[in-house]
Amino acid sequence: MDENILEAKDLYYTYADGTKALNGINIQVKKGKITAILGGNGAGKSTLFLNFNSILKPSKGQILYKKKPVDYSRNGLKALRKAIGLVFQDPDSQLFSASVYQDVSFGPVNLKLPEEEIKVKVEKALQRTGISELREKPTHCLSFGQKKRVAIAGILAMEPEVIILDEPTAGLDPMGVGEIMKLLKEMQQEMGISIVIATHDIDLVPLYCDDVYVMNQGEIVLQGTPKEIFRKADVLRSVHLRLPRIAHLMEILEKEDGFNFEDTASTISEARRILKNYLHKL
Amino acid sequence: MINIDKYAYSSALKKKDPMEKLTFALTTLGVCLWAGSIPISITVLIIMTTATVKKGQTPFKFYLKLMLIPITFLIVGVVTIAVEISVSRESFIAALFIFDRYIGVSKTNLVTAAVIFFKALGSVACLYYLSLNTPMVALLSALRKMRCPKLIVELMSLIYRFIFVLMETAETMLIAQTSRLGYARLSSGYRSMGMLLSTLFIRAYKKSDELYTSLEARGYEGELNVLEESYERSFRSYLTIAGINIFLIIGTLLIKHYIGGQY
Repeated sequence: MDENILEAKDLYYTYADGTKALNGINIQVKKGKITAILGGNGAGKSTLFLNFNSILKPSKGQILYKKKPVDYSRNGLKALRKAIGLVFQDPDSQLFSASVYQDVSFGPVNLKLPEEEIKVKVEKALQRTGISELREKPTHCLSFGQKKRVAIAGILAMEPEVIILDEPTAGLDPMGVGEIMKLLKEMQQEMGISIVIATHDIDLVPLYCDDVYVMNQGEIVLQGTPKEIFRKADVLRSVHLRLPRIAHLMEILEKEDGFNFEDTASTISEARRILKNYLHKL
Repeated sequence: MINIDKYAYSSALKKKDPMEKLTFALTTLGVCLWAGSIPISITVLIIMTTATVKKGQTPFKFYLKLMLIPITFLIVGVVTIAVEISVSRESFIAALFIFDRYIGVSKTNLVTAAVIFFKALGSVACLYYLSLNTPMVALLSALRKMRCPKLIVELMSLIYRFIFVLMETAETMLIAQTSRLGYARLSSGYRSMGMLLSTLFIRAYKKSDELYTSLEARGYEGELNVLEESYERSFRSYLTIAGINIFLIIGTLLIKHYIGGQY
């Protein structure tokens, strides 16, 4: 049941200064999956996300939400932005209130829900993101990782169907990265939220993502499952990306040292299985 | 300023209804200004200091340091009121004869100076009570409830939030400049500071743009509506506030009646 919840169809976007940020993008975000958009700096990921959230209107082409073209009227936008949440890279440009609680409540209040319902939603979002104990603290006293969680909670409180995150792991320490990704995975599995992340942290992709799109200069150069993508190492390298470390190791073992593995591997557990099998066969 | 903010968040009175604290501070401030009497001002000073230090748990040393700031200004200001120049020596308690004039202090001037000094100190104590025990967020919610214009409250809240971001950015840039010897000489220091300020302005402008985008993504329609947190509310505290102020007013009237208006 791979239903597309969000689609970009032949999408073009040109900025007012003539910069062509997107050149005919086609993306299908599947319902309940984690989709990664990989791309170097300036590949057009952020522009794409702003188009997904209708902050920017495509110059050409369409955004489809649940197979229907986006309605750019006032009410249409409101419904769309409730359904599609956008978490920005820098939490400092997303958190506008000095109070954690107030910031998280902003989205649901804008949806004009009854107060009791808002309270429940805010509470749930705070708990889900593990920041209930931060509610009393002022935003400026939080660490970067905590701010990131508050930013995610602010979106989660609106109960969207799709959450789009721009570089969710940038600037976090290894533990913070793991925690945020685990949180996203939980949101996907337990709440059925479809997740789109832009990242250049390639090692995360095989661990957490179901689908991958590789972008370069406003175009999609590769698409598929992580496994399929990482078979095309040369294309990845040509767009300033690389293989996951483990996949790179496996590639070197095969090419330089004459190993002959049955399959490729991009994560530690995959590599472990393949190496074990290989050794058993000897 | 940052310290005041920090103490406000760790105050023991933090959870008390901000409305109540605002009422207490402003009413007492009003009475203190109206009374303009030394004993009343001192009473207000003592009440507010006790409330801040004992109830709010602000460290006394820090409070004293904060108090020293207005005291310095006050002493300078009050001296100019107390000291007068005149040709005759009659009205002065003490005077110096310089050239053909007397410079000295008269009793009335001394009293006026003392009244102003304590009046100001008492008022400052009222405001310190408010700012040391009420986090900005709570104060803003009180202002909102008092039907302060939305635009002003929203501006205040945004300014408050982004002062910290701005300062952090400025600090990082300052360190980066210093590490590249940007402030090694006076002339390069001026140049570096100029560059820092202009870059800071551009950054702030860009940041505001990003903020607008992110607010829009969350359904912003021109108003920053948020949910207010609830605070402990008690009718008894309002009674106490009224009691203290009635006591102060009666005290003032008695003093004016029996001792004389100027004290």
